[in-house]
Amino acid sequence: MRVMMRIGAEWRRATRVAVTGLLLSATAVAATIEGRVVLPKARSAPVVNQRYEIVTKAGVLSTNPPVAIVYVEGEFPRPQVQPVTQIRQKDLTFIPSLLPVQVGTKVEFPNFDDTYHNIFSFSPAKRFDLGRYRSDEKPVPSQIFDEAGLVTLRCDIHEHMRALILVLATPHFVITDAAGGFKLAGLPAGRFTVKAWVDSKTIREQLVDLPPGDATLRVDFP
Amino acid sequence: MKSVWQRLRRLLCLAAVTLSATAAEDFLDEVQDFLSFSARDTQWRGRLSGALDLEGYRVQLPAPGVLGTKDGSLLESRLTVFLDAQLGSQVYLFAQARADHGFDPGEGPGQLRLDEVAVRYAPWGRNQPTVQVGRFATAVGNWANRHDSWTNPFITAPLPYELLTGIWDTDAVRSSTALLQWAHIRPGLPAAQTALEKSLRVPIVWGPSYADGVSLFGGAGRVNYVFEGKLGSLSSRPEAWQRGREQLTHPTLSARVTFRPNQMWQLGLSASTGSYLREFAARGIPAGYGRGDYRQEVLAHDLAFAWHHWQVWAEAYASRFTIPRLGDADVFAYYTEVKYKFTPQLSGAVRWNQQLYGTIPDRGSRTRWGQEVWRVDVAPGYRFSPHTQLKLQYGLQHGDSGRRDTTRTLATQFTVRF
Repeated sequence: MRVMMRIGAEWRRATRVAVTGLLLSATAVAATIEGRVVLPKARSAPVVNQRYEIVTKAGVLSTNPPVAIVYVEGEFPRPQVQPVTQIRQKDLTFIPSLLPVQVGTKVEFPNFDDTYHNIFSFSPAKRFDLGRYRSDEKPVPSQIFDEAGLVTLRCDIHEHMRALILVLATPHFVITDAAGGFKLAGLPAGRFTVKAWVDSKTIREQLVDLPPGDATLRVDFP
Repeated sequence: MKSVWQRLRRLLCLAAVTLSATAAEDFLDEVQDFLSFSARDTQWRGRLSGALDLEGYRVQLPAPGVLGTKDGSLLESRLTVFLDAQLGSQVYLFAQARADHGFDPGEGPGQLRLDEVAVRYAPWGRNQPTVQVGRFATAVGNWANRHDSWTNPFITAPLPYELLTGIWDTDAVRSSTALLQWAHIRPGLPAAQTALEKSLRVPIVWGPSYADGVSLFGGAGRVNYVFEGKLGSLSSRPEAWQRGREQLTHPTLSARVTFRPNQMWQLGLSASTGSYLREFAARGIPAGYGRGDYRQEVLAHDLAFAWHHWQVWAEAYASRFTIPRLGDADVFAYYTEVKYKFTPQLSGAVRWNQQLYGTIPDRGSRTRWGQEVWRVDVAPGYRFSPHTQLKLQYGLQHGDSGRRDTTRTLATQFTVRF
């Protein structure tokens, strides 16, 4: 339950970050899109392989309810100040397990467990291996995600650990809540494609015309 | 021999190209998700996973260690399926089934085995005393918990886990001459026994030693402990693990304590004692003695270090095989492994191994009862994807046998993990 609340807090934080960015970048207008994405069924929670572990760790893991990322596609200028965010490793889980970032964002990977992790990615959008590092190691190991695409994070030590970073060219994105609801505010006027990223094989899209001014548009992704 | 290597090369190339594609990575992720299941609001969860290994060996005869090949060339395939299940927070169950040509790579007929199946009960939660019952890898040393093909940077086991000593578990030693013949120190071993000797001799520890048993373990601060009672000594062979009832009257007791000052270091100390003779060897025991007098006593020290892209492991084993009316046959073996990741996908590992023998009383003096051996292994590895990897290994082994002092082993292993 605590982990569920933590994940909820992550969504709210990510949403706040995205919305703050939107508010800062929207100079003249602040249109809003809200709606709902139909989400897939939750996948089974993973089992930690403890075959050769002397000490039992993380006997019960949180479930990660599926969520989607809704974003406005387009070429937008990179932020003047490099955004920095985090994916934490806590209780042998990546938190959050899905993170949208704008191209150029620096993501830090602090380790809050008392055991090693070894984060790596073989994804074409970002290939790296952080190696094993202590939880008190400074600076916190990080990577800059400078190419749009989907990056799958894994741990070389704990095979059940997996997380996704969706690197987007746009600053206009938001994570849905567990019911699929979303609200994307601070948008400029114009004709855009709004996309809902559901999983690595499912991206839904709709063409929208955002009028100038303080309008709110309803967009659902069935 | 040439055709075997050509076939292996073609298979490896085809598999690497096919399975390194991004689509294959997604597919194998989906397979992993598909093989996970849960019930009772995810409080009960299970997962099937596994690995498919394709291995090739080219060795100078006689084949080193526990490898079984008559012509110096061997192609081995192995399918391993794991089950991990968590029932609430207190019960964890795991199993490992394998289809191959024998526990050790060889030319035997195909077989399907249940190498591990155990249930763990942790009534008081994390770090508290936990009990485990079933067939599982020994807690002694630090190699068993990283011996699977995906984790292990090498293809073969370190020397203490595979180099056969002169001790047989199938017969009791009755004289120094017999032991020295069994160990190839003195000529005169009948030809029929020489041909069979791989099924007679034992190493210090046979692989991960998947014998039946029960263990109690837990932790206190930075110290973890394990007590283990198993139906098979550390040197017992895979056939004996499947016949644990033979050892019911002579169980092996082991203990291990580890100290982890921080995430970088782990130090371990292990000890074990148990009878090394099989049940049917009892007929050759001199009057007045029993199987319990033929003991393997082991003291082991191990160390593990990891930092960034470096990993180091080292173990030292001192093993004593007690032989009534003859004395103690002591053997000491150690190794050090170093692994470094050059890039996210390319890694390399080097291992130095050495095995040294003590002396036994022999014709009024003392004679060393085994051939001392050193071996260096070099193993580059490449991960095509999070599910596929290729390893190569070159081993140079030197013994003081006087027949052929230096032998070379070339091995390759392609693994698909799902």
